[in-house]
Amino acid sequence: MTQIESPKVVKKKLFSPIWLLPIVALALGAWLGIKSIKESGIEIQIHFPSATGIDVGKTLVKYQGLTVGKVKDIGIDEDLKGVNVKVMMDYRAKPFLNKETLFWLVTPKASITGVEGLDALFSGNYIAIQPGKGSDATFFEAERQPPPMLIGSEGVMVELSSDKLGSLDVGSPIFFRQIPVGSVASYRLDGNQRVLISVFIQEQYARLVKKNSHFWNVSGVKIDASLTGIQVNSESLASILAGGVSFSSDDAAPIAQNGDTFTLFDSETTALGGIEVNLTMADGSGVNKGTRIVYRGINIGSVLNKQLSHDGITAVAKFEPQYGSLLTNDGVFWLEGADISLSGIKNPERLLTGSVINFLPGIKAQTAMPTSFILQSKAPDLLQSKKRLLTLTSSENMGIAPSAEVRYKQIPIGKVLSVKLTKDLSAVEYQLELQPEFASLLRSDSYFVPESALTVNASLDGISVKTRDFTTFTQGAISLFQGHGDTPLTANSNLTLFSSVDAATDFYDRQQQTHVTLVSQDGADVSQGSPIYYKKMQIGLVESVNWQSKTEDFAIKLAIDKQFQSLLKKPNVFWRNSAMDISASLAGIDVAVAPLQGALKGSISLGLLDDSDKTSSAAHLKLYESKQLALAQAQAIRLTLPASSKLAAKAAIRYQGHQVGEVSQVKLNADLNTLTATAYLYGEYAEHFSRSDCEYHLVDAQISLAGIKAPATLITGPYIGVLPGKSNQKSTQFVANLTASSYANVVEDALKFTLEDKNLGSMKIGTPIFFRGIKVGQIDGYSLSTQGNSVLMQAHIEPQYKHLVNQSSQFWDASGIKVDVGLFSGAQIEAGSLETLLAGGINVATKDTTQANNRLAAGAILTLQHKAETEWQDWTPSQ
Amino acid sequence: MKQQGKDIGLCLCKMCRQLNSTELTHCQRCQAELHIRDYSSLQKSWALLITAAILLVPANIYPITILTNQGQVRHDTIFSGILHLVNSDMLPIAMIVFTASILVPWIKIIGLSIYLCAISFDIPISKKKLMVGFHAIEWIGRWSMLDLFVISITVALVNMGQLLDAKPAPAATAFALVILLTQLAAKVLDTRLLWDRLEPQDDTN
Repeated sequence: MTQIESPKVVKKKLFSPIWLLPIVALALGAWLGIKSIKESGIEIQIHFPSATGIDVGKTLVKYQGLTVGKVKDIGIDEDLKGVNVKVMMDYRAKPFLNKETLFWLVTPKASITGVEGLDALFSGNYIAIQPGKGSDATFFEAERQPPPMLIGSEGVMVELSSDKLGSLDVGSPIFFRQIPVGSVASYRLDGNQRVLISVFIQEQYARLVKKNSHFWNVSGVKIDASLTGIQVNSESLASILAGGVSFSSDDAAPIAQNGDTFTLFDSETTALGGIEVNLTMADGSGVNKGTRIVYRGINIGSVLNKQLSHDGITAVAKFEPQYGSLLTNDGVFWLEGADISLSGIKNPERLLTGSVINFLPGIKAQTAMPTSFILQSKAPDLLQSKKRLLTLTSSENMGIAPSAEVRYKQIPIGKVLSVKLTKDLSAVEYQLELQPEFASLLRSDSYFVPESALTVNASLDGISVKTRDFTTFTQGAISLFQGHGDTPLTANSNLTLFSSVDAATDFYDRQQQTHVTLVSQDGADVSQGSPIYYKKMQIGLVESVNWQSKTEDFAIKLAIDKQFQSLLKKPNVFWRNSAMDISASLAGIDVAVAPLQGALKGSISLGLLDDSDKTSSAAHLKLYESKQLALAQAQAIRLTLPASSKLAAKAAIRYQGHQVGEVSQVKLNADLNTLTATAYLYGEYAEHFSRSDCEYHLVDAQISLAGIKAPATLITGPYIGVLPGKSNQKSTQFVANLTASSYANVVEDALKFTLEDKNLGSMKIGTPIFFRGIKVGQIDGYSLSTQGNSVLMQAHIEPQYKHLVNQSSQFWDASGIKVDVGLFSGAQIEAGSLETLLAGGINVATKDTTQANNRLAAGAILTLQHKAETEWQDWTPSQ
Repeated sequence: MKQQGKDIGLCLCKMCRQLNSTELTHCQRCQAELHIRDYSSLQKSWALLITAAILLVPANIYPITILTNQGQVRHDTIFSGILHLVNSDMLPIAMIVFTASILVPWIKIIGLSIYLCAISFDIPISKKKLMVGFHAIEWIGRWSMLDLFVISITVALVNMGQLLDAKPAPAATAFALVILLTQLAAKVLDTRLLWDRLEPQDDTN
């Protein structure tokens, strides 16, 4: 088989495009080579004091964190005073390698302000470079310390002048509004007085530093502890530990230049300037350095210091500048602390923070800036001028403290300003001030009473306990009682503080009381305060009981309330009330119990007399022993009796059976023979029975055939009989007889005469005298005649029968039974009445008609016949 | 004399290993272009090899890794890395790395250049030896990528910022290109050329 071979054209290629590849590679390699040669770096030498912390091949040279070189070799200096470090610098660093370029070793430094060179901790120490000017150089001397930060366009470097460095250190932060804007770059002494601190402010904040900026130290922690919490102010943690500096910035002021010098102040307060004022005070307690000055609760300044001055304490206070305009001449400063009272605690935070100085700006326009003020001890009262000032006096302090409230109907209307003794130390004086609107409450008779915090009112109705609020407990309070008058009170008047409303009422009542002084023989069992009753109603009090040595009696001064004064204008008497008065008589027993108060304290009663004609002077009145005596206006007499008489107190004095007085007291005299009885005569009878010739005698029961005489005395005991006298002479001393005088019970105008007989016979006292069988008189007494030869029988004829008896009358004994037995005449029995049979009797017959000439004279003596003539019985004169 | 394929009118498709007639221009199976002998491959191989040789310089001079260990930056060239391993008492690893990173690329380049010289300048070297060498180079060449492989893994895994960080350096690229180019150089060479040139001299063997 044959094949036709097709022609084959082979094209010979000289060069394949693949050859471009090695050319490119070669070019690349060449470029790399050239580049690496070009960037191979510059070798320099730096002289370090020691090679500590520098490692060959490791230690880098850095500029602003950028590695610009590396240590290649370390060799010892020729003079053995250090090491020469060979450094291969980056070729780009060549422009920096000038004569003034600085190198220093950066080692990790942990300080309070922070860890410096933290990168060095990991990457190892490095050599920092700060480019400088000058010609090229390859040999450098390393710095011992990092140079202060470069003054350049990056920021601003200013200097602060201070008297001490404080806790500032290089690296201490500079704050503006708590933002760190820079740091302390370095510090140095300026002379031996000042410290100059270089401060670097970063570029972006540099414009904040003004020509008039104030720098102050914000080192440490500012702890502001108040009740609202504890506020810890610090700029930053670093500034707590390492201090810091803050500064102010004024928008308008020009920006500070590099190198400007400022003063570094201790604190913001001092730094920010402000206005200094002096506060003078007498007592510096409560005012301390740092004591705040507050206006409406806003701090406007503080006290810088206080010191003793020649006129007290002077505190220098500083106002913050923006509040300077508040300072005027009439501004007021006062110290204000926490106010603890039971109504609450005012400003409790000041318990911890201390007092503050309060400030009240004046109202006057700003004049010259004042520099000195007086620190008041208390807040000025804006209403002061309008307030009503009052002075109260009281005998003692009733627990009222200054600042105690003054109340009216329990509404506070003012307060007590001060409590002090009066100048003469005799009383306590209170200064009050009342709110102006309440001044109209005051009257000339207004008074004040302290509020009792606790009032316990126990009575038979129950016990009521009343308490007031707690401030009353602690400070006390006083209440105003307006008074009834409508006379307004004048300013600075003196009113009285009473211990209680009762005391006040008493006081005012007493002012209107009428006083009556009674005279009493004894103290009458009353004392001061004993009540005086009128119809069992108290009308007054005993004010005093005084012994009067001159008259040996007691003067009892009574005070009668006003509304009862009219009683005194009427005839009245006073008597003492016994606690219990039991008057027992045949009529019954009467027990009178005085009111309890009177029973305990003794009391006096006032009674009115019916006799309107008898006017009694109120000045010297007599105090009677009892109501009866008083109402009778009894008069005292003194009787002397034989000791044998059985007279007792309360025995009556009777005339004709009627009581005219009573014995109040019986006493055995020292001679044991006589008794002295003190007795009273009832006023209306006293006239008659106080005459010197009055006869007093003891009346006792007499039991005889004729009957029982004075039977009441069997029970009541003997009483005193009295016969009125006629003498004009008055007497109060009498001698009482044991027996009554014959005519004791005979009416005065009876016909009195005496019968004479040889023998008394059956005659007795009381033997009747009959006229035609009708009793017209009786025998009143009998006695032996002075010679003893006859018996004299005192007899009387009742006044209405007086005219039946005259000188012609014949009296004969009609006693017994007259039995006339005759042989022829028979027996004739003659007898009077049965009474005459038993008790005897006397008959009388009158012959003539009574004429003026034959009247029987008083005291005439007639003979008692034993036997009647027959004719006598026939006498029948017409009378 | 041994008969060759072209002598009997046969040509091997390099793509699909189909024997085709030399008269065909394209493989009858895969339609790939047929070359009885590719003389241009020799040039390509030379070019690639020379490029690789050039690149071998920066690959060894420049650091291949940048290792940041606790802030300390360390630039390692291939050789300094091996030294570091040796200093760290990791000799076996050092040997492996040395073999893979230095020995193999050099051997490859030298070996390939000998091979290419033998073809280009008819250097009388035993055909058998050359083939053994060629196979050895081809086989071992891929292992040179070990170093790059280690670097790429390290870079991916070790990334702790300032504390510990590994980064490839410019030499890594160069090194990678060296390996790649040598591989390509070996690959593009039409080995049949060897046989044409060496056959006559090989008779003596």
